Amino acid sequence: MPRVIISAVLGAGLSVVGGVMQGVFKNPLVDSYTLGMSSGAALGAVLSIVTGIGIFGYGTTGAFAFLGAVSSLFFVYHISKTKNRVSINSLLLSGVAVSYFLSSIISFIMMLNRNKIEQIVFWTMGSLSSATWQKLIFSSSFILPGILALCFFSRELNIMSLGEESAHYMGVDVEKLKYILLVICSLIVGAVVSTGGTIGFLGLVAPHIVRLIWGSDNRKLIPYSAIMGAAILMLSDTLGRVLIQPSEIPVGVMTSIMGGPFFVFLLRRQKSKGAA
Amino acid sequence: MDYEIRAEHLGFCYEDKEVLKNINLKIKEGSFISIIGPNGSGKSTLLKTLSGFLKPRKGTVLLGEENLKELSQKEISKRLSMVPQNILLEFDFKVKDIVMMGRHPYIKRLKGETAEDIKIVEKAMKYTNILEFSDRLYNELSGGEKQRVILAQALAQQPRVLLLDEPISHLDLQHQVEILDLIKRMSLGGGLASIAVLHDLNMASAYSDHIIMLKAGEIFCEGEPEKVLTAKNIAHVFNTDVTVSKNPVTGKTYIYPISTIPKNKRDTRIHMICGGGSGTKLIKELADNGFIVSTGVLNIGDSDWAASKEYELDVAEETPFLNITQRAYEKNLELALAAHCIVLMPIYFSKANIRNLELLTEGRLKDKKIYILGDRDFEKRDYTGGEARSLYKGLKEQPNVIQLEEYELIEALIKADEGNE
Repeated sequence: MPRVIISAVLGAGLSVVGGVMQGVFKNPLVDSYTLGMSSGAALGAVLSIVTGIGIFGYGTTGAFAFLGAVSSLFFVYHISKTKNRVSINSLLLSGVAVSYFLSSIISFIMMLNRNKIEQIVFWTMGSLSSATWQKLIFSSSFILPGILALCFFSRELNIMSLGEESAHYMGVDVEKLKYILLVICSLIVGAVVSTGGTIGFLGLVAPHIVRLIWGSDNRKLIPYSAIMGAAILMLSDTLGRVLIQPSEIPVGVMTSIMGGPFFVFLLRRQKSKGAA
Repeated sequence: MDYEIRAEHLGFCYEDKEVLKNINLKIKEGSFISIIGPNGSGKSTLLKTLSGFLKPRKGTVLLGEENLKELSQKEISKRLSMVPQNILLEFDFKVKDIVMMGRHPYIKRLKGETAEDIKIVEKAMKYTNILEFSDRLYNELSGGEKQRVILAQALAQQPRVLLLDEPISHLDLQHQVEILDLIKRMSLGGGLASIAVLHDLNMASAYSDHIIMLKAGEIFCEGEPEKVLTAKNIAHVFNTDVTVSKNPVTGKTYIYPISTIPKNKRDTRIHMICGGGSGTKLIKELADNGFIVSTGVLNIGDSDWAASKEYELDVAEETPFLNITQRAYEKNLELALAAHCIVLMPIYFSKANIRNLELLTEGRLKDKKIYILGDRDFEKRDYTGGEARSLYKGLKEQPNVIQLEEYELIEALIKADEGNE
């Protein structure tokens, strides 16, 4: 039972983060996965396990995951920033590059800690098999208020889609807003990853499905993405559990299998739009 | 009278490069001001500094009586709005939602939009004539419609000052006029002080009350369009040769650029007897082919006269409605004598210009080639009661006269010119 509720909460969190970050960076290919946040969070969590700090309680892993998410995001953001302008192409490229880099560090750590390898694999693939009530309460206490807080900024987020300069002229403090939104997003990602590992592509796909059906208005997009994400992750996790019984497919694998092709579809659509 | 926006000794630097130097300006309500200047002269930077988006390195900007520096961004947004060249949306929104974004500085976070906000947005959409597509998505609209949406959004901010950064650069002519008309109406009717960066000097001339010409970050000159838009100023600031005249319909200053592609200069001088537009095409063709052309006798204001002026030709000119005076006749003869050959266009003859025909029968022009173009229906072109006809008949019998069609002429002239070398 906690597993079903957890999948809903994590799904909601990831999708909302994806939707909000797509809005902040005005790009449909952005989510916590493509910007390196998820890998950062996973590395943080893995570090807390292998160093043994994790034994001081569940919260430490969460804190490490949060720090990992924040630092990889800010790292990616700053290396793609030249002369005060963030080019979206370099943001995505450096996000993916950093993601790979962090993943190989995780693999390296796995090699050195063969005794903990199973625990680590769990982070990198994303799985909900270890769900407990305690984990549910922990992750919900970050994710749900986080989503609520993001809802408060939906009007500003709408204005941001006109461009940062235009948003400025409409009275939005763009730098402050970006900072607040990204910190909240990192908190949510940290909580999600420390509970369920890196679950790929959900944050990318769910908001787009919502946009296709209900439009881009963030006042609708954020709550509907939460519902959509929750539903998709619950479904994926259940499918993963029943498809190849008695064994089970980690939910992160399920979402990536479904999300990867969707990502390519979006990329192609954007390319053809750019050419027109 | 109060000024809506003032800049005093404004200066701005990007890193070490000084982009704006000592800019002073004052703009009243209801006026439309254009900023012109070549790329890199600081136009957009000036606009962004006036808007508070860039912080000036030196000097101050005053909105009404308040210092821009001391206002919060929301307070500034209630007084000033900016319209960019165009807005691209990755995620699409409904038109009415975009216009509502203009109300942001007035909307309290927890309260949401009020009935008054909705009323103001509707009024703005009505004013810009976009009510009929208020439920459509922005990205489905045409360029001109999108720009009207952005203007409605700017209006919804209820500003006193409207800044526009090349608002028409990506629009076709019809929509350029439509958008500038709208901005002008907003200025006049709404009492807005509008400041627009414009690339098209003729649009700036047609719409502005006042033009500020920037060169390398400084105000090179400013004032009414006709004072600023002179060939001399434009040559100096834009490094481009132009001729300046008046738009015959509106009387506004109108600028014609002159191509700088070097012409194949020729030594042959050609004098043209033309008028009433009969010579305009040939003047252009001969001048573009590098011939030295002169014309006469033309009435001042005649379209051939205007073409001659555009190409800076020597013209024997006469006041309209006067018969050709002795002075003009002599000038015409002088130009004809200086030329290697003379071209007579198929013009109409009356008492006023019959002396142009007389000229060609002058003994002193006996050894000049005279080309007669379009020798048809002379009777219909004769309003002198036969006098011109007999002169013309005599002329055609002279051994130095050649009849040609227009398309044959240029070829013959080029051949003759190249044979001379």
